[in-house]
Amino acid sequence: MGSVILWIPFIITSGIENCSRQPPWFNGLELLEDAKQNKHVLPSGCEGIDILLEGGFRIGQLTEIVGPSSSGKTQMCLRSALGVADMNLGSVFFLDTCNSFSSNRIASMINQHTATSVEEDGETRVKRIMSRILCQSVYDIFELLDILRQLENRLSYQEKSNGNSIRLLIIDSIATLVAPILGSKNSQGRMLTISTGILLKRIANDYNLSVLVTNQMVGGQRGHLKPALGESWKSIPHVQLLLSRDKGSTICGISILKHTTIGSGRTGKFVIHN
Amino acid sequence: MSASIAMAESSRSGGHALLDGAQTAWDMLSEEQMQKPITTGCEELDTILGGGIQCKAVTEIGGIPGIGKTQLGIQLAVNVQIPVQYGGLGGKAVYIDTEGSFMVERAHQIIEGCIADLFENFEHRKQSLVCPDILQPNSFLANIFYFRICSYTEQIAAVNYLEKFLEEHQDVNIIVVDSITFHFRRDFDDLAMRTRVLGGMSSKLMRFAKKHNLAVVLLNQVTTKFVDGSFQLTLALGDSWSHACTNRIILYWNGNERHAYIDKSPSLRSASAPFQVTSKGIRNVTSNCKRVRMM
Repeated sequence: MGSVILWIPFIITSGIENCSRQPPWFNGLELLEDAKQNKHVLPSGCEGIDILLEGGFRIGQLTEIVGPSSSGKTQMCLRSALGVADMNLGSVFFLDTCNSFSSNRIASMINQHTATSVEEDGETRVKRIMSRILCQSVYDIFELLDILRQLENRLSYQEKSNGNSIRLLIIDSIATLVAPILGSKNSQGRMLTISTGILLKRIANDYNLSVLVTNQMVGGQRGHLKPALGESWKSIPHVQLLLSRDKGSTICGISILKHTTIGSGRTGKFVIHN
Repeated sequence: MSASIAMAESSRSGGHALLDGAQTAWDMLSEEQMQKPITTGCEELDTILGGGIQCKAVTEIGGIPGIGKTQLGIQLAVNVQIPVQYGGLGGKAVYIDTEGSFMVERAHQIIEGCIADLFENFEHRKQSLVCPDILQPNSFLANIFYFRICSYTEQIAAVNYLEKFLEEHQDVNIIVVDSITFHFRRDFDDLAMRTRVLGGMSSKLMRFAKKHNLAVVLLNQVTTKFVDGSFQLTLALGDSWSHACTNRIILYWNGNERHAYIDKSPSLRSASAPFQVTSKGIRNVTSNCKRVRMM
């Protein structure tokens, strides 16, 4: 845990650097301009989810998908990646912590979705979409922080509104990275969790992308399941969605636990095609 | 300073900026399609698994005692060694035994059954496709690296040691852990620490699977859970462990037959298939002989 100490000055100095690039405060009108120009909504690829979320995942926000095992979280992430790449909105960066990224599955999903333009044939469409989805495996919270720092460096040198810039960052799932460090008596685990959350939200806001993370559920009181990672992570995501699926069924229920503009408790459904 | 200028130029010059280690899904697709799975010995089970147990993934297999988990583990450790000329991977196996249920005599029997089936399926070839020394039970046994674990600290140490071991033995294609839960169920008072330790161990195993391109098979026991007023059977180690694997297969009895059901998988659909444990190992169910369940 000695290497944790090295991260504290990094987080502070990178915050100071950010301040020196532009004035640290905005007035309401500037924020509104920024929201209109940059902070659009990314469709999730599923009509049911888009209707529930009034458009989809908003750029600049961190969305968390929680659900018990095998409830459709990875499928929803793959479908969103597919949707963003298909509509040429930008690239997708998928950080995979549990070897659940399956390019075969994406290819079969592409072949089931109807093509938006008739001129493209199946093979070129598959190649075009899959070349825009980047995947990297991460198994360690420190690796994740390193990758996010490299990503921030690359994005700061890239031109804005480049057609190939990353629009969606998916981490599936963040619980496997954070669970091994959280829960002991010392607070370094909680510090790393919160630092990761702050870094993700800053990248989402400054570089105009949307971040999607999946989280697991653990047993709470009296056998009810609750989202993992405890109280320190709970306040970090902007939007929290709960997935549920009956065993053997292809229909997933989705409900809003937390959202910035929509009331919580609203529910919807979407189907996982085979 | 010059490194950052070079990086800026390369990202401006074209395409999307690829971080070191990231791959596009298109490149991964061709790699995945060339990947050979490890056959289980039973064709129906192979079919629902998409050819067999996938490499680069962690598969958890759970079931009640006596259903055949250890048999399946030994069968996979043998089948991974089927030579490439006969359609297999030609790799070696690591078998981590925590319960002491690995019987060498049974492994010998399974190997003999596997070799006999290979010759039967390829009998149209007059000569053997590989050097006859390879298809001997002793050389198959020599390719299974066996670790006997007696406590949870030894288990954690073994997984840590595997990192160095796999660098030296690059041809290992499967790691079987039988069973992953045994030592963690008794000795831990602090359940939060158990979750942390198990989480760290499963991350390491995931990393080995991806980096060294091998299959990791974890065998798990069942326990009873009080849910909705009745006791139900669930896999051991709780909800937090249920996310630690890529695929999950549950073995269960259906009448007098053994069945396998895919419980969790990112790329396979839920299905179940029957299988049989014979003296030669795991095989298809033949319709004319139903094994009587031993009470």
